[in-house]
Amino acid sequence: MSQYRLTEEGKKYLKTGLPEKQLIEFLSKSGETEIDIARKELGETFNIALQWCKRFNVVEIKNGRISLTSNKIPDEIHNLEKSLNEVQDEKEPVSSDAQTLVRRNLIEEEKETLERKAEKIVGSEITYLLPEVIASDMWKKKPFRKYNVTVSGPKMDIGKRQPYSRFLSEVKRKLIEMGFIEILGSSITTEFWNFDALFQPQNHPSRDWTQTYSLKYPKKGLLPENKIVQQIAATHENGWKTDGAGWGYKWSSDKAAQLMPVAHDTAISPQTLSSKKLEIPGKYFQIVRCYRPDVIDATHGVEFNQMGGIVVAEDLNFVDLLGLLKEFALDFAGADSVRFLSDYYPFTEPSVQMNVKHPKLGWIEFGGAGIFREEVTKPLGIDLPVIAWGLGIDRLAMHKLKINDIRYLFTQSLEWLKDARVV
Amino acid sequence: MRGWFDMPKIDVSYTDLCSLLGRKIPIDKLRDDLLYAKSELDEANGDILKIDVKDTNRPDLWSTEGIAREIAGRYGKTGLPKYNVKKGKIVVKLDTKSPVQPMAVCAIARNLKIDSSFLSQIIQLQEKLAVSFGRNRKELSIGVYDLDKIKFPVRYTSKHKTEIKFSPLGYEQEMTAEAILKNHPKGKEFSHLMKDTDIYPVWMDAENKILSMPPIINSNDIGNLTTKTKNVFIECTGYDPKFLLVVIDTIAAQMIDRGGLVESVSNITGTKKVVTPSLATKKFSMDMNYINKVSGLNLDNKTIVSLLKQARYDCQLSGDKLNVMYPSYRSDIMHARDIVEDVIISYGYNNIPAKITSIATRGKLSELETFTGNLYEISIGIGFQEILSYILTNSDNLFSKMNVPQESAVEIENPMSRNWSVFRTWLIPSLLEFLAKNKNVEYPQKIFEIGDCVLLNPKKETKTEDVKKVAFAITDVKVGYEDISSVLDAFMKNVGVNYSLKEKPHTYMINGRSAEIIIGGSSAGFIGEIHPLVLKNWGLQKAVVVFEIDVSYLM
Repeated sequence: MSQYRLTEEGKKYLKTGLPEKQLIEFLSKSGETEIDIARKELGETFNIALQWCKRFNVVEIKNGRISLTSNKIPDEIHNLEKSLNEVQDEKEPVSSDAQTLVRRNLIEEEKETLERKAEKIVGSEITYLLPEVIASDMWKKKPFRKYNVTVSGPKMDIGKRQPYSRFLSEVKRKLIEMGFIEILGSSITTEFWNFDALFQPQNHPSRDWTQTYSLKYPKKGLLPENKIVQQIAATHENGWKTDGAGWGYKWSSDKAAQLMPVAHDTAISPQTLSSKKLEIPGKYFQIVRCYRPDVIDATHGVEFNQMGGIVVAEDLNFVDLLGLLKEFALDFAGADSVRFLSDYYPFTEPSVQMNVKHPKLGWIEFGGAGIFREEVTKPLGIDLPVIAWGLGIDRLAMHKLKINDIRYLFTQSLEWLKDARVV
Repeated sequence: MRGWFDMPKIDVSYTDLCSLLGRKIPIDKLRDDLLYAKSELDEANGDILKIDVKDTNRPDLWSTEGIAREIAGRYGKTGLPKYNVKKGKIVVKLDTKSPVQPMAVCAIARNLKIDSSFLSQIIQLQEKLAVSFGRNRKELSIGVYDLDKIKFPVRYTSKHKTEIKFSPLGYEQEMTAEAILKNHPKGKEFSHLMKDTDIYPVWMDAENKILSMPPIINSNDIGNLTTKTKNVFIECTGYDPKFLLVVIDTIAAQMIDRGGLVESVSNITGTKKVVTPSLATKKFSMDMNYINKVSGLNLDNKTIVSLLKQARYDCQLSGDKLNVMYPSYRSDIMHARDIVEDVIISYGYNNIPAKITSIATRGKLSELETFTGNLYEISIGIGFQEILSYILTNSDNLFSKMNVPQESAVEIENPMSRNWSVFRTWLIPSLLEFLAKNKNVEYPQKIFEIGDCVLLNPKKETKTEDVKKVAFAITDVKVGYEDISSVLDAFMKNVGVNYSLKEKPHTYMINGRSAEIIIGGSSAGFIGEIHPLVLKNWGLQKAVVVFEIDVSYLM
């Protein structure tokens, strides 16, 4: 006795032939034709027919028209129809074809066979609710094994962002919402952008080798267009047209061309300002991996990120600058209590440091800002006030991630990463 | 923005400060007052206040006297501080032939009552000036001596190092210059400043006694101040007269603030005579309207003038033209902006209503960042853990351990540690380094990183270029090529880029189990199983399969 019997659909196709065969036969008569015509001809079985014809690679569809690639009916179709006949005749079909027919719901297993199979799998109680158990109704006869539902299954790892990297992405999203445009930094820059364009004299203490790195290889880069270089040189030497006195020394283009790992994010800002793409009004930000020769400890990593940027618009002033900082404090630290202190940067005047009030730690330093000196903006061809700002992004991240050692931002512990929560 | 270098931090005695101000100011009030002197009270420990001065260009504030002078403006002592310098008779001859700090300026202060607070301020100001303003004595150094122990005339001259012999500060016995550089703590600390010459500068008195050997050390007797000292001789040596004049005037102002009488000295070089200190008044002219334009405060003229007087300026106003008078030690005033900042500080940063102004602009993420956002989503979807590594590494990690030939890479000249001296050129070493540190964590381990590498590119302004790459690694007891090629396939299908694999041997991969990833006819990366030799170099004990692609090929 066969294990299988025909379903209603199977019985139907035994008379009419399988849908894919019907489509092939129609097309071999009609030749290339509109899909819609074929669809009409086959009726509701068209989609099944098309799917199988595609699988057997016998039709081709182009520009809404369908045609045969060969007039021969594939052997697979003959074999399936042969198996249907065998089930009808209570003979045993080839098992691979039988499986296909079961999947196509054209034949089904006999109830007794199913029950026997299910009985063998289940034993005295049901562990997994297998398809055989469902089809044979075995679940009505045998009890389900009880699970200890209070215990969770084996530990599982999920794919996750690195928490600090994710934090940086979130910060960027927030800045976009505030209307800032992202500018990409680069690891290597010239002293020109890192220092000279920011009006830091070439004999400034911070340019000593103990304060920044320099490159062994390659040594020298190129300076930008000559006009800007000339204007910056003159501004350093005598103030140029800035109404300032300058630093009063002989500026060296050779020193300015020296390459160095970027030491602060503000190195990007003069490049943004001198770019032809600068929009006015415009708000820009950059998050830059920075390098300085610090002794590595809980507050100094090998590398650190700085976030900062500029705002350029007509008639910006110091009151606007404090407003911007307050907005940052609200949006990034959720702090509405802020305090401003005077500060010093060689490239801004006036300059300010902002502290925010932390419920437990008291006043903490949150960021610095200022209005770029005219000695910075004018030589770059900008005759408008430009606000330069920077926020202590690493400190913010440490606070958010609840860590007190900066080295964890670049953690090398897989266990720590696995344990770190996403939310 | 992060401060460039440490701001000067000074110790101030609270009682001393109050006595200079002539009134006792409660500590909380003082905390506020300090904000008007560009300073912040960092710590109050008994009588000792630790104060951060937030300006590396205002050496006049780096002492109790300077802080008191600035704060006094808020207690009625407004306008330009008045300093008288008496014309003195002392002449100093400068004839040093040493290339080290060839210039010098001097001053004399008499009738001093040096108590321990004043003494510590003289020493502290000298040190802060030499460290912060003088780039740790490289640019300038300072000496203060007991005037009554010196036989004038004094000379600033030079000698061959083998001919110099004296007792340096803290030592009773005489030492040669070479012995001082070798054995004296200050000699050891600053010997690098003398490395290019054998001719050293020295200060000598009429009896050829050595007062000091700049920029290293004073002599033990003449160059040693005590609370018994009444009169002092001050000198500052260096290269740039601009700095030297600021320093000598700053110290002279300190002496006058303590009730001393300052006398000028004629410094003679050949036929040239410079008389110091001057403590002259300097003048700056500017447009009055500029103050409101930059500050946004809408102050009237009267208010501006009174704010400037509180900040120790004198003012004259004619029409819109404002003339401000300030003391010579204020070398930071280069532009009208510098005056504006002092007006705002004097007004008080925290008295300004910070209003949030909205400037309507449209935000935009860079294209690269937008794109890598998709890569993150796909990578964590495949079930990998993101890691973040330093971009700095070393050539061992990049080349030797990976069993690949050494290539030229971007290298730091003055690394803090050789471990972090070269910019990475590829990501796989970062991933292997990470795995090597997590050998005891559960397996399988599946990690990825999207990060910058720095490659040489002679066409670029910086001769280098940041290249973003993405790399994946799996390590397990049993893991093979198809485990990683199926990850690559899922990754590429979801990025939506067609690729093909071409077998290619790599010295760091097992032969027959490594391939190039080809996109649009070019090699965009590689995939394969790490060679056991390389695993051993990293101390890894389980198989690792990897791929790495240059992100620009995916965009």
